[in-house]
Amino acid sequence: MTYIVKTNQLTKVFEGKEVVSAVTMHVKKGEIYGFLGPNGAGKTTVMKMLTNLTKPTSGDIEIFGEKLNDHSYEVLKRMGTIIEYPIFYEDLTALETLELHCEYMGYYDKKEIAHVLDLVKLTNTEKKRVKDFSLGMKQRLGIARAIITKPELLILDEPINGLDPVGIKELRELFKMLCNEYGITIIISSHILGEIEQLADTVGVIKDGRLIKEVSMDTVNRSQADYIEVIVNDGKKAAFIIESKLNITNFKLIDDNCIRIYESTASQKVLSKTLIEHDIEIEGISKKTSSLEDYFLKLINGGVASA
Amino acid sequence: MLNLMRLEMKKYHIGSYIKKAVFANFVILGIMFMLLFITKIEGDPGFDNYQAALSIIDSAVRAVFIIFASALIAKLIIGEFKYKTITVAFMYPINRKKLIASKLAIVVLFTFSAIIISTAFVTAIFCIVSENFQLVSDTLTSSFIIQRIPVVIMNAVAASCIALIPLYFGMRKYSIPATIISSILIVGAVSSNTGNFTLYDIIFIPITLAMIGISVAYLSFRNIEKIDI
Repeated sequence: MTYIVKTNQLTKVFEGKEVVSAVTMHVKKGEIYGFLGPNGAGKTTVMKMLTNLTKPTSGDIEIFGEKLNDHSYEVLKRMGTIIEYPIFYEDLTALETLELHCEYMGYYDKKEIAHVLDLVKLTNTEKKRVKDFSLGMKQRLGIARAIITKPELLILDEPINGLDPVGIKELRELFKMLCNEYGITIIISSHILGEIEQLADTVGVIKDGRLIKEVSMDTVNRSQADYIEVIVNDGKKAAFIIESKLNITNFKLIDDNCIRIYESTASQKVLSKTLIEHDIEIEGISKKTSSLEDYFLKLINGGVASA
Repeated sequence: MLNLMRLEMKKYHIGSYIKKAVFANFVILGIMFMLLFITKIEGDPGFDNYQAALSIIDSAVRAVFIIFASALIAKLIIGEFKYKTITVAFMYPINRKKLIASKLAIVVLFTFSAIIISTAFVTAIFCIVSENFQLVSDTLTSSFIIQRIPVVIMNAVAASCIALIPLYFGMRKYSIPATIISSILIVGAVSSNTGNFTLYDIIFIPITLAMIGISVAYLSFRNIEKIDI
């Protein structure tokens, strides 16, 4: 397996407090790695260590097969990053920002600037100073800057902050395109579950500085069973009917009125017909898919319980 | 390194600083003539020869550009840390030490050239005007001017290094006011001209201060590759 980023027991201590503890993560080449965790969990610190801005207290990082040290500068050429929030030299215009960035990175294809501004949908703003940009525009310019040099690895810390729903959708598609068409590996952090769920191939869940789970979305999806939820007036009676008349045993009585049926062969139509025939009043019936949200919350809460 | 300096200058629109430096020259000239006329009206003899006048021009130019340098340090270095733009700069595949060194080189070279050019410019205008209108009583000789050239160059070298001292105060808490105020205090100490005498005239003092300036610059980026941003 080719890993583009590998960390081993990565730990960072700030003023005696361990903010990142023994994080061992693996990012495969060409995938989108979702880095998920609540605010203050240590996502940014890990990302800063991956980009060599912050130095680990212990443990090590391997990027593109090379161990990162204080003098690792060449690897930075192959990365595009946004850390914490997009930071700019605010007196420069969008065009100057990208031109200077290319020069510092040693990238000389000036035609790419217009193309990349178009990709992030920032047109007619070349002459505008960055300090007059809204947060959403800054975020887009930050992404433009990160991708302009066609890096092999993109490290994006909360890149959708400050964007409207349309913008979020556009960028989601852009990230998928970059990954699929250009083969760029993307590490993307967020505290918004839905975003990671829609984007990531692998998810790393971090809490209190610890990577509590690293799992592929395929595995998560397979483990997440769908169920039918029925709200009735008499839960116990309904449960008896479901078991005796429909021969379904894989269900759970949640409370007096709510039943969840996990049996995949159960049909809503047959279920409602049978219940009504036996004088059960149905207030609601719906098919539900438990999402990454449930999975994540279970993980986080489990973490709390065991802590 | 030269390319890095070029990029840094482009990044900070160094042209606007050149305009400000030109403006400062005219302010110094204005003050010089004002001083000249006041001393004439009051009949103060202290300003009545070129030796004294040129020494005041030296002090004034030096003072202005040491403070000017602190503004450059604040913008090019302290501001990068304060406004976190250093995270952008340190994400480039460029040695951190080289990057900071190029910034310091800009400050030193800018200060040095500004002091030399401004001293020459202000002195020239002052001498031409006062010769034509006989404002200063003694006569200006070419040997006197030639004698001053090495002095001015040495002073400019020392002042450009002294100008780095505020870096130390500014870097402590990434404070722009601390950078500028410390430069004003340094100028106040070494450049206040009392009876044609400044602390700067004791050769030991500018040399020591210049060495402190160089050490401060060295210490400020000695460990730059190890620090967390």
